[in-house]
Amino acid sequence: MLAALRCCGPRSFPAAFSEAIPAWSPWLVPSRGRKSRYDPPAKSKASRLKVPPPVDPAELYVVTERYRQHRLVLSALRSIFRSEVVQRKREAQRDAEDSAALSEEHRLLMAWNDAENARQRARREERIRKEEEERKMQKLQAAENKAKLMEAFLKEKEKEVLQLQEEAKTFITPENLEARIEECLDNPRNYNFAIDKEGRIVKRTALS
Amino acid sequence: MVQLGSALLKGYRGGHVVIRFALGGCTNRPFYRIVAAHSKRARDGKYLEQLGCLDPLPNAHGEKVAGLNLERLRHWLGCGAQLSRPAEKLLGLAGFLPLHPMTITNAERLRRRRRRAQESDAPPAEGGSQEPSAAV
Repeated sequence: MLAALRCCGPRSFPAAFSEAIPAWSPWLVPSRGRKSRYDPPAKSKASRLKVPPPVDPAELYVVTERYRQHRLVLSALRSIFRSEVVQRKREAQRDAEDSAALSEEHRLLMAWNDAENARQRARREERIRKEEEERKMQKLQAAENKAKLMEAFLKEKEKEVLQLQEEAKTFITPENLEARIEECLDNPRNYNFAIDKEGRIVKRTALS
Repeated sequence: MVQLGSALLKGYRGGHVVIRFALGGCTNRPFYRIVAAHSKRARDGKYLEQLGCLDPLPNAHGEKVAGLNLERLRHWLGCGAQLSRPAEKLLGLAGFLPLHPMTITNAERLRRRRRRAQESDAPPAEGGSQEPSAAV
């Protein structure tokens, strides 16, 4: 069971002994041999005070500096090797592709592709030209129709105006008011007649 | 016959290629193979390629012998393989990579300790030799 815990838990055992991090807390599984997490520590370890290893600050500074240099050099080497690998791959690809038959086939395919493109372009331009003409024709038609409609409208209005002018001759104005009144009084009209559905005056009714 | 080959292959999530030591040999006779493998594989399990070997026990002439395939090492490092610490130290000692800082630091510490041991041996010897002369 401890072997299973060992691969799940953290590898490093906490060196600092403090109240905040008890030695036996569930997240700190020590990778030691016999005892499981539920076994109590030995009596000989009761007074043990765990102290981290002493660190010489000058040496630490020197060591950090050395690590920095080391990592710089390593990253530079890695980039060199990376570029080598990429170059090798590219050369291998080129050697594989560089055969005469493949280049010939490539050339033929490119030529066919160009022919296809040209054909499609011709068709496309034809279609666009036709559409332009259609649109122009439609515009002309629309303008003509509009002009016709305007003409008809104007004619209608002219007719109405003329009709009104004609009718205006029979209007009653303050000047010929007297004359018209005289005229009406002189000519009494009899409206006492019936009318059928077609609008003809009916002379013979049941009442007469 | 049902073909199940690719279904039985182990597929990992994450992980990276690592150049590390795989332990072989017998009881009290270790032998390491320098190996490029996935980081999630077992230490002695299936690897991608063997790049060398290391015999940690000194031979009759007092040498620890190691063999390295530098060409393939370059290839794997170019493909982005990580190195384990002992592998880095070995390659540093071999001269392929720069020396690991801890190699230098441990060597310094050892030298200092030896010099201190020498000095602590020499003065008591001198003091011991001087005291009898002083006493006398």
